[in-house]
Formats: sequence, structure tokens, C-alpha cells
Amino acid sequence: MALSTFGAIMGFAAEMVQRTETFYKTMVQKAKNPIVGEALQVLLEEERKNYSLMERTRRENVTEMILEPIAGLDQSDYEIEMKGMDQTEDSDLLKMALILEERERRFFSEVSDKVPLPEVGRIFRKVAQKKERSLAKLKTLGLNQLLLGESGKA
Amino acid sequence: MKRVKNYINGEWVDSGTKEFGDVWCPATGEKIAEVPFSTAADVDKAVQAAKEAYWDWRCTPPLTRARYFFKLKDLMENAFEDIARTLVTEEGKTIDESRGEVRRMIENVEHATGVTTMMTGYNLEDIAQGIDCTAERQPIGVFGAIAPFNFPAMVPWWFLPYAVVCGNTYIVKPSEQVPLTQTRIFEAVKECGFPEGVINMVHGARDAVNGLLYHPDIKGISFVGQSATARYVYKACGETGKRAQALGGAKNIVLVMPDAELDRHMPSLITSFYGCAGERCLSGSVLVAVGDAYQGLKEKFVRAAKALKVGDGLQEGIQMGPVVSKKHQEKVLGYIEKGIKEGAKLILDGRNIRVDGYSNGFFIGPTVFDEVHPGMSIAKEEIFGPVVALIHVKNLDEGLKLIENSEYGNAACLYTTNGKTAREFKYRAGASMMGINLGIAAPMSFFPFGGAKGSFFGDIKGHGREVFQFFTDTKVVIQRWT
Repeated sequence: MALSTFGAIMGFAAEMVQRTETFYKTMVQKAKNPIVGEALQVLLEEERKNYSLMERTRRENVTEMILEPIAGLDQSDYEIEMKGMDQTEDSDLLKMALILEERERRFFSEVSDKVPLPEVGRIFRKVAQKKERSLAKLKTLGLNQLLLGESGKA
Repeated sequence: MKRVKNYINGEWVDSGTKEFGDVWCPATGEKIAEVPFSTAADVDKAVQAAKEAYWDWRCTPPLTRARYFFKLKDLMENAFEDIARTLVTEEGKTIDESRGEVRRMIENVEHATGVTTMMTGYNLEDIAQGIDCTAERQPIGVFGAIAPFNFPAMVPWWFLPYAVVCGNTYIVKPSEQVPLTQTRIFEAVKECGFPEGVINMVHGARDAVNGLLYHPDIKGISFVGQSATARYVYKACGETGKRAQALGGAKNIVLVMPDAELDRHMPSLITSFYGCAGERCLSGSVLVAVGDAYQGLKEKFVRAAKALKVGDGLQEGIQMGPVVSKKHQEKVLGYIEKGIKEGAKLILDGRNIRVDGYSNGFFIGPTVFDEVHPGMSIAKEEIFGPVVALIHVKNLDEGLKLIENSEYGNAACLYTTNGKTAREFKYRAGASMMGINLGIAAPMSFFPFGGAKGSFFGDIKGHGREVFQFFTDTKVVIQRWT
């Protein structure tokens, strides 16, 4: 489906963030290594904030400009299959988290240039930056995981 | 079938009328509710409640009055999506447009809470030796609003919060075509706990309007609607000694200069003409190509208009909804026929649009007429639909002449990259709301809203700083104690 209106973009963004949040919520319980669990908990909290931010942005950042048609965005470019809900290995959880964070980083970064409202573009860019930082942390954690093993002990 | 009620003295009450109107969902063409055509007696009940509540409310400190609106703002935020969806269901606009409208409504509540600054008067010591003079703003009594169909949530709130926060009491009459949105909003009003009688709502049509206009205990009326009715309201208020601000119709002219950045501004142009299906008093209606802008503008505009997604406004991604009613659809279609008969060239025809699954909806597709002359009906009269009249002029002077000759003076817009041209345009154009490189010159709550010429009858416009004057009397007190 084309994301051709402000509402469609914000609706998709909120839904995407909410689904990621649900994933983290489940995965926090499944993590064996407490370090991985903590990392997922941080991502979960972040995603809760992001969801509120999306809802708030949709409601409050409203000027006549949001009504301008938007071209060149399609939600199929950002849809991924939510695998991993049944995963039990920490390494798989981290892999899935990496995919989700990268998807959101790409979405918020690309859409920030196309939304007609500068303040919404700025909000999206900030979320994309946060996602970059999360990705860096996850990658580090993934490497440590390889070195330390599932239990977190060398 | 849902039958809406009046809200009088803090209670939902049935009207005493036996006459009811139908409320339609414009997307499906289905009847969704019934609205009472309240009588003058119903209006009188509301006025008596408002009058009874006035003195206590007037004596309530302004900051305390403002606190009700702080609470109401939160309640409106909580009901935001519900109000927006109700609005789409009965008016037809898209969900984005609807959310935008609800936001604008809330912004007026927010702006009104500045009453402790905005309502202050002024004073001067020693206007003569030992004599001091004070100008104080005082509330006046019971005010009323008569609202149009096209912005069912927002328009009553261009006035109500300012009137009430200043210490007046209030009666709203929503459009009989779209009573459900304000009914939903008044659930929040009730929950907010305003003292009984401070805010009231009476549904209805002609009898309710006249009941308000000719009631001796109503001190002022705010009206938004067609120019003929605005003139009638203004006249009636003059006869009965009421304050009046009557906002009428529009035929907004949008000029595009040869140096305009067409590609950059095309989404804004399209929104100007087709947003809310053209049913707003700030919509572009006459598209004026200046000089060499003509060919490129025509091609790009028609291409962009064709690409608009028309459908049920409740679906995210839809860019233009239906018009409000079957009757209005027929009126707009009538103008398209008229344009053809008068010799304009129909280059994009929206008459036979089909929206899958909505065969009974009141849809009209984006329509463009080329080779329009200023004397044609489609160039002069308010159509209030998605119909664009494209006129080609030689230069800015000719474009400004079109604005000057229009009987309306609501809004006018210009697209250019030249500051001198922009300055010349805003300096000379005879409209009150001007857009430069944007197509909807919509003042926010802290600036005044209203037009000129046949678009506005009165002197103090809606919202902005000035509206606090409309809802207060300036009492001058001269004192000598020495």
C-alpha cells in the first residue's frame, strides 16, 4: 500500500513500532543471558517511548501541510516477517532485534526527507539516530555474545 | 436510528419539535441519524439556562474559568480520534483533514486559556490632576454561534472558548447536516463539569437560527456560512441590537507566476483546490496562470489532480472524500454543466467517478476547466466543490484585477520566487487572508480569521487577539479620591 498521506505514514509508523515493542516484550522473558535481557528491556522501553511519540506526532503536529499528497513511499518496502517469536536462543533474539532496529532506522531516515512537515521530519531523523545507536549497541552485544556464550559467562 | 438531543442546562434533553432532519454518511450514502429541527421555544429554554448561569459564571475569577478549559483540553485530547472519526462519518472529509480540524479546535481552547493576559484592560493616572482612568473589560451576557457544515468540530470553537472564558455564557447551533460531531464534543463538555447552563447546544435549522437571532436576551452572534445568510444574520443582529461577526462565502483566487517552483509547490496547489473536496472557505477555486506559467501549470496540475485517490475518508491513504450531501453533489454537478454551457473547456471531468464499494456515495472527482473567462459563473460564484477554473492572464496586474473585481475577499494566494512580486501582491490584493507559496492561508487560533467584501460582515473577526474584544465590553471608570 502506498503511503501517500500523512495519516497513512503515521499510522504505519505507529503500528510498526508497536509490533516491535510487542516482540521485545516477549523476548525479554525468553532471554537466557541477563545482559541480553537487559538490552532488550532497554529497547522495549525505547520503543514504548517511540510509540507515544508517534501517537503524539500524529495528533499534534498538524498544519495544512499535512494534507499535501506524498509520493514515492510504499509500506511494502518496510514490511518484514516477524520471525523469532518462538526462538529460544539469545543469538537468534539478537539477530531479530538487529533486523527490526535496522528496518526502523531505514524507515525513519528515508521518510524524514519526504514528509511535508519539517518538524515531523526532524522527529523522524532523531528516531533514526537513536536507532543507529541501538544498532551499534546490539552489534557489540552480538559480538560479546559470540565470545561469552549464552549464559554470559566466559 | 440515533436521534440527537439538545444539551441545555447541563443535561441532554429532547427537543419539543415534531420535525426532524436526516443525517447522512456521504461516503456510503446511508442515513445514520436524525436531527431535531428545534423550535424557538427550545432556543428560549437554552437562553434562560444561559441567562440564569451568567452572573455566577461572570463572577468566577478568569483563571478559575480558564481551568475548566485546561481540563476540557485534556478531555478533547482523549476523545481526539473518536471525534475525528465521527466527523469523517457525517461530513465526508478524509481522516487526515478531520484530525487537522480537531487539532485546530483544540488550539482555540488552548489560546483561550490565556484569558488572564488577553482580557486585561488599561489605565492612566492623572488624566486630570488627581483623577485616574481605567478601562476594564467585562463580559456581556449570553452569546450564540451558528455553525456551517464544512468544519463541524472546529468552527463553533473559534468563538465559544473565548466567549465563555471571558465570563459569558453560550449557545451553539451546529449545522443540521452534521450534528453528531458537536454532540460527541459536548460529551466532553459535560464530563468537564462546567456549571449548568454555561455552555448549551441546540440543534436545528431555520427556526433555531431565527430563535437565536431574534431572542432579546442574546447579546451577540457569531456566524459562519454562505454570504447571503451572513448578510441576513448581520442585518438581523443590527435590528435587534446584537453584536455580530458573520463570516460568509468565498471564491479564492490563486495566482501562479512564471517563476514559481511548480514541482515543489504542486502538492500544496492540489491541496488548496481539492482538500476537503473543495468545501472550505479557504479553498482555491480560480487558478490563475500568469504569462508563461500557463502551459506547464496546466499540464502538471491536471496530472497531479488525476492522481488523487478519491474514496471513503475513513481509509488512511484516501486523499479526497465525497461532498457532504446528495443535494450538494447535485449543485456542484450543476456548476460543471453550467461551465460547459458557458463555453469553458472541461479538461478533467470528475462527474462520473466510481468508487468501488461506495456506489451510493456523494463523490465528485477532481475537475478542471480551462479557457475560463472572468465573467463565467464558474469563475465568479462559490461552487464549494472540487471544481477548478483555470484562467490565463498576461501579468500580475491582470491577476490582481480579478481579485479586485470579485465580490468576495476571503483569501488569495500567490506562488512566486520573487520577493518584490510577493510584496506587491500582499500589498494590493483585496482579500484578508493571504498565502505566499502556500495554498491554504489558514490563520491559527492566535491570529484573526475572516475575510473582506462579501466574505465578511462585521468588524471583529474570529479568534485571534481581537476576539476577546468581541466578547467583552470596555467599561471606563474615572475616579477622583483626592
